Amino acid sequence: MTAARMPRVATAAAAPRRKTSRKVIRRRLRVLAILLVGLVLAAPLLYLLSASLMNDAQLTRYPPSVFPSQLHFGNYSAAFDYLKARSILNSLIFTVGVVGVQWMLCVSGGLVVAKMRFRTRNLLTGAFGISLFVPAISTLIPTFVVADKLHLINTYPGLILPIAAQTGFGTLIFRQFIVNLPDALIEAARLDGAGWWIILRRIIIPLCRPASGAYIAISTLTAWNMYVWPLVATTNGSLAVLTLALAPLASSQYSTVPQTVGMAAAVITTVPMLIAFIVAQRAFVRGLAGTGLE
Amino acid sequence: MTTVATPARIVPSPPKPANPANRDRWAAAIMISPNLLLFTIFVGIPIIGAILLSFCHWNLTGLPAWAGLANYSELMHDPTAKTALVNTILFALFGVAPTVVLGLLIAVLINVPGRVVNVFRTLYYVPAVVSFAASAVLWQWIYHPSTGILDFFLSKVGVSGPQWLSDSSVALPALDVIGIWMSLPVSVLLYMAALQRIPESTLEAATLDGCGPVRRMVNIVWPGVRPMTILVAIVAFLAFTNGSFDLVNIMTQGGPVNATTTLIYYTYYQSIDNLNLGYGAALTVLQLLLIIVVIAGARGLQLLGARR
Repeated sequence: MTAARMPRVATAAAAPRRKTSRKVIRRRLRVLAILLVGLVLAAPLLYLLSASLMNDAQLTRYPPSVFPSQLHFGNYSAAFDYLKARSILNSLIFTVGVVGVQWMLCVSGGLVVAKMRFRTRNLLTGAFGISLFVPAISTLIPTFVVADKLHLINTYPGLILPIAAQTGFGTLIFRQFIVNLPDALIEAARLDGAGWWIILRRIIIPLCRPASGAYIAISTLTAWNMYVWPLVATTNGSLAVLTLALAPLASSQYSTVPQTVGMAAAVITTVPMLIAFIVAQRAFVRGLAGTGLE
Repeated sequence: MTTVATPARIVPSPPKPANPANRDRWAAAIMISPNLLLFTIFVGIPIIGAILLSFCHWNLTGLPAWAGLANYSELMHDPTAKTALVNTILFALFGVAPTVVLGLLIAVLINVPGRVVNVFRTLYYVPAVVSFAASAVLWQWIYHPSTGILDFFLSKVGVSGPQWLSDSSVALPALDVIGIWMSLPVSVLLYMAALQRIPESTLEAATLDGCGPVRRMVNIVWPGVRPMTILVAIVAFLAFTNGSFDLVNIMTQGGPVNATTTLIYYTYYQSIDNLNLGYGAALTVLQLLLIIVVIAGARGLQLLGARR
């Protein structure tokens, strides 16, 4: 880009050229600063990646080393054995279930509280809002009691539904986005005889694509990394998700698994979200800019 | 189009609803019902249950026994509860402020177009994707007292690092650092979204008029992102209060000697470890009150700012 611009400037007077090149230098310095600060922020993760390829002797040696002297990919196969394919599958089922169910509930709910006219609308919106401030831990036992009464403990629905039911955040995100869509759009469709269901499917969902992107990114991350509810809602190992398999590795004193394997396991649980996030980040910023969230 | 629309208007709309403000009540009821049903069962009832439980004694066996205000009077006389409240406020204060300030500065820094910058920008978002469990594995090793990499770097510059997680005076700030690291990406993302709405031309015009970076920040960027700041602060505040549980639970279990016991961790300790469910619920109500007061204060500030 700069290369294309330089010759054009070169034909012009000498003074503007000096100005432009100073601008280019300033931009390069800024890009360099962006890289350096970014590396500092990502350093702990890069260290995790590096440590996951060391052997235990190197990891615990003092002074510590930053790069592995030899690449021990065996840590990864050991970590896979420790985490078990079953817990990876369970994490996938849990995440897809939570995000899928919650997304459907939240788009339709967002339309209801944004555009439909009924008397208890503000009350309903307020209830969704208040639920955001209640910490998950404080409702843990009551939620467990409810799920237990419904015979849902140790089942996939019991794992998924109580989390998918936390629709406060998503409903308000979609409300915020849909409120800003022109009323005329919906009124015109209604005059053409479209019911609310058609309006939802043909107008709202397509227009909400950026908001859906941002929302799905956030809720996927939340579900994938969720720890406490899966811990409480499952007592047999066949339903355990990745975070449950990983947590014992964090307490270094009691673990019999080598730390390097623990590091490799942490990388394995993180990588799928890293890829998803890199893919989603652009849509994410655009989606947030569109919601007018404040 | 108008020719089609007009007859529809003129043909008397037969079942005219009594109140246009209540026009869509049946359609709304049907469309919201799956959402509201699940929300009521798994969110609404547990919240009400938790509040009611704070007036009872219960250890999971039998039925809860009504206790009146006994749990709340215990709360007033429990020194650990006071420690937990102070820890919660300190943890939030020293977590939220850096998250907001650094978030804005970083967002301004990286808000330049370009393909290379797009790639580098990813570095800023990666901490967001790390689970508490994974970051605990990682930070245990960074903070490790004998072989940790942090103490190693400090020793290079001649400082001997403390026992990060087992020294009661630095354990809470050490957890704050992890919390800030994990919350920064969201703060940066939210500020980036706000910055998108400040037209590039305004900033360029200001630069041409000789505005330095500081004046651009104060006169153009800050007024543009000020409404977003309240949201960033609230999101960070919730992350450092309600969200602090996983961090404390995995890293320090409230220790050393309650130095990292926050309200949310103490709630868990009383409810799950001690099966003192009524008292745990009272602690939750205290936490909720704290959050409501702070958020109401923030909204008040926002309204004041909007009026000016």
